[in-house]
Amino acid sequence: MISGKYLLQRLCYSGASFIVCLTITFFLLHLMPGDYISNYLLSLSNTLPKEIVDQFREQFGLNLPLTQQYVLYLGNILHGQWGYSYAYGQPVLSMIFGKLCWSLVLLVPATILGILIGTVIGAWSGWKSGGKKDFAVFNVMIVIRAIPEFWWAIMAVMIFAFYLQWFPLGGYASISVLSTGLDFFDVLHHALLPIILMTFFIATGNYYVMRNSMIAVIGEDYITTARAKGLDERTILWRHALKNALLPMVTITTFQCAGIIMGNIFIETVFSWPGIGYLTTQALTNRDLPLLEGIFLLDSLITIGAMLVADILSSAIDPRIRMGTDE
Amino acid sequence: MSETKGGVAGVQEQTRSVRELICISGLKVIFSSRSGPVRAVDSVDLAIREGERIGLIGESGSGKTVTGMAILGLLPVNAVIIGKIRYGDYDLLTAPDRTLQQIRGNEIAMISQNSGSSLNPVMKIGDQVAEPLVIHRICSVPDAHREAIRILAELGFDDPEQAATRYPHEFSGGMRERILIAIALVCRPHLIVADEPTAGLDAQVRARILKLITSQISGNRTLFLITHDLGAASYLCDRIAVMYAGEIVECGPAKDVLSLPLHPYTQGLIASLPSAGLHPIPGMSPSPASLPRGCRFCERCPAVLDRCDCDHPELVFTESGRQVRCFHYD
Ligand SMILES: Nc1ncnc2c1ncn2[C@@H]1O[C@H](COP(=O)(O)OP(=O)(O)O)[C@@H](O)[C@H]1O
Ligand SMILES: [Mg+2]
Repeated sequence: MISGKYLLQRLCYSGASFIVCLTITFFLLHLMPGDYISNYLLSLSNTLPKEIVDQFREQFGLNLPLTQQYVLYLGNILHGQWGYSYAYGQPVLSMIFGKLCWSLVLLVPATILGILIGTVIGAWSGWKSGGKKDFAVFNVMIVIRAIPEFWWAIMAVMIFAFYLQWFPLGGYASISVLSTGLDFFDVLHHALLPIILMTFFIATGNYYVMRNSMIAVIGEDYITTARAKGLDERTILWRHALKNALLPMVTITTFQCAGIIMGNIFIETVFSWPGIGYLTTQALTNRDLPLLEGIFLLDSLITIGAMLVADILSSAIDPRIRMGTDE
Repeated sequence: MSETKGGVAGVQEQTRSVRELICISGLKVIFSSRSGPVRAVDSVDLAIREGERIGLIGESGSGKTVTGMAILGLLPVNAVIIGKIRYGDYDLLTAPDRTLQQIRGNEIAMISQNSGSSLNPVMKIGDQVAEPLVIHRICSVPDAHREAIRILAELGFDDPEQAATRYPHEFSGGMRERILIAIALVCRPHLIVADEPTAGLDAQVRARILKLITSQISGNRTLFLITHDLGAASYLCDRIAVMYAGEIVECGPAKDVLSLPLHPYTQGLIASLPSAGLHPIPGMSPSPASLPRGCRFCERCPAVLDRCDCDHPELVFTESGRQVRCFHYD
């Protein structure tokens, strides 16, 4: 497996990437046109006393030069201080984690199902490539993928929630929770439709990668060797082709997991789901910089972590990578 | 057991009843490609006799691999295959998949070309060598692994137990070739189709592999060697068939074909060997997508006749019982 020295080296790289991400995020967000005062506070009352504005700017250090703000910010982050939201006055980290739980309610099942379904159908479709069944499945996947996610979400809400009334129109629980508390089946009922939609989307994405990967593997000489041994097609697919075809999938799916932990903005917005994606849109419209910075930082952290995981996973599957790190 | 080794003369061979293990007749393989049909193999008739070591030689692109793949039924789906390949009671070209799967690896095995890419990169060598034994239910999984280690030892692995737990990329080209040979031999098949087993190996390793193949192909085990390495063919084979542009142009006992080649192409091949002064045949073989109407070697032939250009010669028997496809021997 991976050696300690290699792991240490990778960790150093990860640390460096984190600082770079943090810097870019900080400056990009501060260079964004509009700020909290003009975008949000002024929309509440058009006569904002100057003292209040000044006090706000001083409180959040906005009166300092940008470079000085950056140094302060960097120091705070490294000490685990992620700051306070402008709009809510609450610590950014606890806010993010509160919403993250709700995002995960949708994302964990959707990601697992999506990756499984996409990989299995993709493997099968690639193995049968050129045939009629593959052609049919391939085209269905194109149609699903070609139309934007939010359109499907809106259509699904209209058909299944509005007309058929199988599902609620949105939100994460019925109004009755106020008196009875959260109920598992009630939340599940609300979560089902967005989960199904997200599963579809994640599945189609994985389907393409897996299908292409499988088509590449079919042409390999070792598949011919396997046939020459007398193996039947199904055994060749499962024992020889699949593991090889999964190699490029590992990195991609790991990143996918990383990406979606940050929530699905479209789905959460359409379904008014109180997750990270929803929080991001709100923070963005309000120019709630500490909150946005926190969200993006967490995103970078997770992506960097995912790279590490992808490395370790690939080396577990592919002995060629293992040797490269073991020397 | 029929003993045919040692270059028995052709006339004798015809009179003696030798059991034919494989009989290829009228084999045509046509690939459909964007630039039209590619006639990779054209009207090949060839019998592989039990216990013999027959070589199919020719330049690359002449259709040798395609012929070998046809025997194992491993041609890709875009191939149109015409003819018969009789093996026992079966026609290998029309036999059901199930039957072919039982024959492959167990009765007819292949050592494929490109040893570098013919092993599964993510599977341990021991598992890959043991696999044919397991799937043909010859023995249990632990026994299969013991047998795999035994055969690896026989094929010159110093520490076969350790080798069995390693992966293909950890071995050199020569070692990978040995692993492929082990996979082909492990079920003790009747026929081994060896496709370019010496390609890409340096002289020493090549010599060792050739020795190894000789020692393994004995008794009534049959070898069908596909190669463009004339030296390997002359070292290993009793009989040689020469292929040019998808056709067999000459066939006969190895000694005779190599010492007294009949077809101008075979003569050219031998003259192009370094030992014969390295005189390459001028020109290039025709593309299998646009073959000439007459003799396919006509453009490059030093002894071309008037009719070669428009008439197509047939494969005929000479008085000495050898076969050649050339108007000079009509
Ligand atoms: N799958 C394929 N599709 C199209 N053409 C092919 C295919 N496989 C082989 N050919 C063509 O058939 C001819 C013979 O190939 P091959 O038998 O591999 O030659 P060699 O004698 O070098 O082994 C070549 O011209 C090659 O381009
Ligand atoms: Mg070849």
